[in-house]
Amino acid sequence: MTWVTWRQYRHQSALAAALLAALAVLLLITGLRAAQVWHSALADCTKDGTCGSLANSPLSLGSPLVATLIVATAAVPLLPGLFWGAPMVAHELETGTNQFAWTQSITRRRWLAVRTGWLLLAAAILAGAVSALVTWWSGPYSALQANAFQANHFDVTGIVPVSYAIFAVALGICAGTLLRRTLPALAVTLAGFAALRVLTSQWLRLHYMTPVTVYSKLTAPFTPAGSYLGVSNGIITPARTPAVAGANVPAYGGIPIPAACQHFMGNNSASLHAIVSCMAAHGYRQYLTYQPASRFWAFQGIETAIFIALAAALLAATFWILSRRDA
Amino acid sequence: MTAIIETNGLTKRYRSVTALSECTISVPEGRISALVGPNGAGKTTLLRQLAGLAAPTAGRAVVLGGPPRQDPAYLAEIGFLAQEIPLYRRLTAHEHIGIGAHLNPRWDGEAVRARLGGLTIPQDRPVGTLSGGQRAQVALALTLAKGPRLLLLDEPLAALDPLARRSFLAALAEAAAGGELTIVLSSHLLADIERVCDHLILLARSRVQLCGDIDTLLAQHRILTGPRKDTTAIARTHTIVREDTTARQTTLLVKLNGPVIDPAWAVEEPNLEEIVLGYMSQDGASPGASPGYGPGAARMQAIGEDR
Repeated sequence: MTWVTWRQYRHQSALAAALLAALAVLLLITGLRAAQVWHSALADCTKDGTCGSLANSPLSLGSPLVATLIVATAAVPLLPGLFWGAPMVAHELETGTNQFAWTQSITRRRWLAVRTGWLLLAAAILAGAVSALVTWWSGPYSALQANAFQANHFDVTGIVPVSYAIFAVALGICAGTLLRRTLPALAVTLAGFAALRVLTSQWLRLHYMTPVTVYSKLTAPFTPAGSYLGVSNGIITPARTPAVAGANVPAYGGIPIPAACQHFMGNNSASLHAIVSCMAAHGYRQYLTYQPASRFWAFQGIETAIFIALAAALLAATFWILSRRDA
Repeated sequence: MTAIIETNGLTKRYRSVTALSECTISVPEGRISALVGPNGAGKTTLLRQLAGLAAPTAGRAVVLGGPPRQDPAYLAEIGFLAQEIPLYRRLTAHEHIGIGAHLNPRWDGEAVRARLGGLTIPQDRPVGTLSGGQRAQVALALTLAKGPRLLLLDEPLAALDPLARRSFLAALAEAAAGGELTIVLSSHLLADIERVCDHLILLARSRVQLCGDIDTLLAQHRILTGPRKDTTAIARTHTIVREDTTARQTTLLVKLNGPVIDPAWAVEEPNLEEIVLGYMSQDGASPGASPGYGPGAARMQAIGEDR
């Protein structure tokens, strides 16, 4: 069955390998240059002792086009789901070749297990290789911009892309088995994958672990070390309730100004500074609720586990459907 | 003689449509059985259930000593060829032989190569580029290569030209000559299958109308021709399968239950086609209905032959 799977997918595997190689060449060339720029900038700032302000310097690490491509690799894990997963069973059912395959001396379960296994492995290798390249390529950028925890970076680096790819393939196979048609299965795979990815990266991920909340003076804002994931922030009143601008409370930039400080309200930057000092003096503080940078790998692990678990459930459903329904 | 296929009340329903109803048949080992009937009579449904590709809604089938099932040992004994001749269009015949070799415990790839070589069918071109007839020959050769004990062929002759049909049927007869291979093939081409088949299953209106050895069926039926007269006397002893009445005379196809004594009737032996057509056009269908356009054909065609 392994041989049979290879025979049927060797052209597609070759195509995937070629695309991967092209991407690798592009990222190696631009990545090596970016690393060079980064290291010489580091050497320079160490000499001057100005490394603290490196992030604000107009340092260019390379073409923004490649940086866009890096963000676009978020779609890579979807591709095996669309082109390998969705047609795997659906195309056989459409062309009737399942009647050939399933009347050889092999059970449908085994046919499905071997094929699914190899496709999952191939998808994991593809997504893993792309992720490894992207992670390496992004090193200087992450160090410069401290953006490792941001969605467009978190989603394309580390181990999560592998779990996305496994999920996409499982979703494709399951949709194809259920719908028996390739095109609707493609649509469901695309929609399901996009929906779950947006749901996890925009909302669910903020709550994987109880976030940390830090209160700080208005005059000395707290910034966590490294790349953190911000959940919420704002100003609290002396009574420890969030300060919310009401209808009849004068506000400055969305911040309600207490009566005692309203007389500082003007329209220049000096008055803003005066208001902030006044509010701090009256016991107003600001807070930041966030997931610290140290949780990066824990979050990668949690998200990977979620996608793998969903993939397992989809595959279990596929086996159940395939062995019970008529061919 | 042991029965290779034995079904009892086999029924298959698809939502509101009954594709096969109360099908009870028996096919002894070593027979070449013709499965005939109009389009949509349930032939494909029956074959798919025997091959284990579909499960019955009710009733049961015993094939090769057990129910059709997902089991490598069972599947190894079954050769199934679906009507649409499904092959992987982008793979060559040679690659299909490789697939078969990897998926079956018994596999005679050399026989396939020899057979396709004899028919001058290219084995290194994607089967999608072959003609319909060539593709059918490839699929048939692959089905035989498994060395099955039971061959289930759904309309294998449809894509073949008359010469290829003849050589294919000869090959089937040869394969079954040892008495260990049982074949069930569905077809509309009565004249062709009459030459090789010795058993008949007739499905119409999703029910079994006839099932038995062709010699026995021929011996059981007679065509009676006589002046136009009352048929109740005949119906009392025999079963009238079909009655054709013109202004002058009545022609009956009857299933005998003893000798016909009334000298007013001229008694003739029917051929297989007359018996098959007689049963297919029962229930008030137009006389002379040809196979494939019998009762229920139009109605069932809309539902889909492959179910």
